[in-house]
Amino acid sequence: MSITSLAFVAFCVVAILVYWLLPSPYRTGWLFAASIGFLLTWAWDLAAVLLVVATVNFYLGRWLEVAVNKRRFLLWTGIGFNVLVLVALKYNGFYVSALTSLLEHMGVQTGGGGLKLLLPIGLSFITVQMISYLVDIHNKILKPEPRWLDFTLYVVYFPKLLSGPVERARTILPKFKQPSPLDMSAAEQNAWLIVVGLMRKLILADTLLSIIPGDIFLHPESYVGQDLAVCLLAYAFVIYNDFAGYTSIVRGVSGFFGIELTNNFKLPYFARNFTEFWDRWHVSLSQWLRDYIFFPVSRALAKKVPNRDHFVHLIAPPIVTMLVSGMWHGLGWNFLVWGGLHGLYLFFERLTMLRGPRRLPDEWPKWRQVASALVVFGLVVLAWIPFRMDLATAWHYLSRMFTLSAWAKPNLWLMRMYLTGNEKVSNWADFKLPDVRVLLVLIPALLLDWNQHRRKSETFFLDWPAWARGLFLAIVILALLLLSFADTGAPFIYQGF
Amino acid sequence: MTRVPLQKKSALTVILSLIFFLVIIATSSELVARTPWVEKISPYRSVGNYHYQFEIKWFRLQDYVKQNGGVDVIILGSSLANTGIDPDVMAEAFYEQTGVNLRIFNFGVEGLTVAPNSVTAGILVARYHPALLVYVTEMRDFVAGNGMAYETRFLADPWLQYELGNFNGYGWAVDHSAALQHYLPYRNWMRADFLETMPVYLVRNKYTTASGYEPEFAYGRDLDANPDPNDPNEAANFQEYSNYQIAPARLGNLRTILDLKQDDGTPVLIVEMPVHSSFYIYVGGEGVHQQFQQTLASFIHFNGGIFLPAEACNDIPLEGRSNRWHLNYLGAPIFSKCLGQQLSILADQQNTDFVNVNMGGLK
Repeated sequence: MSITSLAFVAFCVVAILVYWLLPSPYRTGWLFAASIGFLLTWAWDLAAVLLVVATVNFYLGRWLEVAVNKRRFLLWTGIGFNVLVLVALKYNGFYVSALTSLLEHMGVQTGGGGLKLLLPIGLSFITVQMISYLVDIHNKILKPEPRWLDFTLYVVYFPKLLSGPVERARTILPKFKQPSPLDMSAAEQNAWLIVVGLMRKLILADTLLSIIPGDIFLHPESYVGQDLAVCLLAYAFVIYNDFAGYTSIVRGVSGFFGIELTNNFKLPYFARNFTEFWDRWHVSLSQWLRDYIFFPVSRALAKKVPNRDHFVHLIAPPIVTMLVSGMWHGLGWNFLVWGGLHGLYLFFERLTMLRGPRRLPDEWPKWRQVASALVVFGLVVLAWIPFRMDLATAWHYLSRMFTLSAWAKPNLWLMRMYLTGNEKVSNWADFKLPDVRVLLVLIPALLLDWNQHRRKSETFFLDWPAWARGLFLAIVILALLLLSFADTGAPFIYQGF
Repeated sequence: MTRVPLQKKSALTVILSLIFFLVIIATSSELVARTPWVEKISPYRSVGNYHYQFEIKWFRLQDYVKQNGGVDVIILGSSLANTGIDPDVMAEAFYEQTGVNLRIFNFGVEGLTVAPNSVTAGILVARYHPALLVYVTEMRDFVAGNGMAYETRFLADPWLQYELGNFNGYGWAVDHSAALQHYLPYRNWMRADFLETMPVYLVRNKYTTASGYEPEFAYGRDLDANPDPNDPNEAANFQEYSNYQIAPARLGNLRTILDLKQDDGTPVLIVEMPVHSSFYIYVGGEGVHQQFQQTLASFIHFNGGIFLPAEACNDIPLEGRSNRWHLNYLGAPIFSKCLGQQLSILADQQNTDFVNVNMGGLK
């Protein structure tokens, strides 16, 4: 069940109504049942895998708490188990073909099409949550959850199941037990979060994604430089609005249960340095990486190299952290390069900080804030190239985009002849102009971000008079309706991770 | 008296404003869409069906009926009918023979075989009550699986289902809303291929005549040379059409069309398209074709229809063909004229059902 489908709306309405009608002791049970029901709409075996993962981690957590010896061993067993499940099921592309041929060599039939393994959605998100749960118990900053039902709900809670946010057990488990009351103000806030999410996903991300030619990221050599640049820009806004839209929707839905989820996106493209970018982009994962990779690596280094200004302190923690981030997105060289690039960005940023006392971006002169935001945005956009395609293609894309001869002069004469009815063309590419539709969609995308930034509120609409909100909602609904007539349905990009 | 909390009041106002603005926007869009101004700047209409050529024909027929006060003959078929029959030439030939002005419309749509056309036929007859339905066919129409991709998608269309009596909100909305019909041709404006496909749509719209004929300007190459089974370019055709057999399901579809005579009193004429003789090499030779004709003729007669075999109008010069199956702008008038003459002969044969029903309807 897609979270942008009408079936999901009906599912949520029933789940929320029953949740608040039930006496509070039964609400967790109901949320659990609803989450399993949601899971079953994807695949029954997916539910089975996640229940096994949850149960193993539940008992591992309890053993970790009571174990006197072998605590470290238990922790690493738990981490190993979670990583193994992830590798076995999500990254099976690396070994399934070899395993299939081995089995067939041994005379075992695999059904002709080779081995087919389940690909559990959201498993990457669950894996990091499970690891943090075990590490927190090991470090004695969290008591293990005594109730299996509550813990399993933490794993399968449907609003955050598909693509996070990556919630820590210590913050979300208390919310399950004591949800915030749902008053009119909270309901309106949550409803607007959902509206913003739907706008980002269905109006902005899906529309931009449809405009981008399907093969431009496969065969960049077929396109002129300006097309490559504009489509890359479009992709940057696709991935942002797609994921931010998803997060907004699930936060709104979860808010109706009185359970607040982490805000994963805080206008990342307005970031003025890379540290700030990672405080704003996929916040819950960034914080996880900071707490469970960056800090431990820094601490381990500090034991060996006490001088904090040493080169190795500047380069190792960000590079290692971002490489792990890359691997979390997928086992491929392109993801490693993407992570490595961001690691390097952070390293150079740390290097410049050595020169003098650190000043926060808010304290910078305005011109520097704007210039820095543009540079950071440009470098982030360039890093999306290896994120989106394999390395060989990424290199072609990048080199062609920066080759002057690949940029064609716009054929304005042809356009004039076409518009005056004196020339027939069957292809927009004949004009050698970037696709104007991208700019058409980027304007509302930027307006939304700019208003959220200026008013420092995701749901700034709530400050508008009631009639203006009504008018805005009417426009959004009509836009969604008109866009729904086109065949552009696209799954959430981060659902694949 | 209890006071309504401010927040509750605000939410209620938002909902009421939303409804108010939705109604205002929808009503004003409808009013604007029905003005001649919109018709002038964007005459294109759509019901959201994926097959845009079907939609061109659908709205062209509506306009034709509006302008001519009705339609006497509807020609149905695939691209063969679309590019092969000019209703104006056909009507002229019929007039020369009988002195009767026939209002003929060509509803031939690319890729649609007898299966989806059996559905379309029912809808068109129920809407326009023509005096005669002409269904244009040839051997490939009866190959099982031929055109299935079109068929499945075409029949799944919610608007079509609405037309068939299966009510759904989408179908109702696009069928009744002029605003939606004027927006839908542009509905895929965000698709990567839109800037390439839209000009094609506009060109086809422009070249399709008021009576539904779309001329084809291409010429066929080497049509006289028999297709070679060893030629890789011909492999697909040989694979698909050798071991030719008429699929019973397709005959069932044809019977649905023929049944319109009983159900609605509309006589049905089945016309076999005069494809180039070299086509019969694919199916195994002229003998297989003759067998096909015999089967089809007896089936049609048994079900109360009239059959006009390909030989009746087979005098098409080579330059009048765009390939082995289709006629071009030179071949179509020749075939159309012949068809008009054949129709007049059929009308003169007083002892056929077609004439009995038709004479009253046409004169």
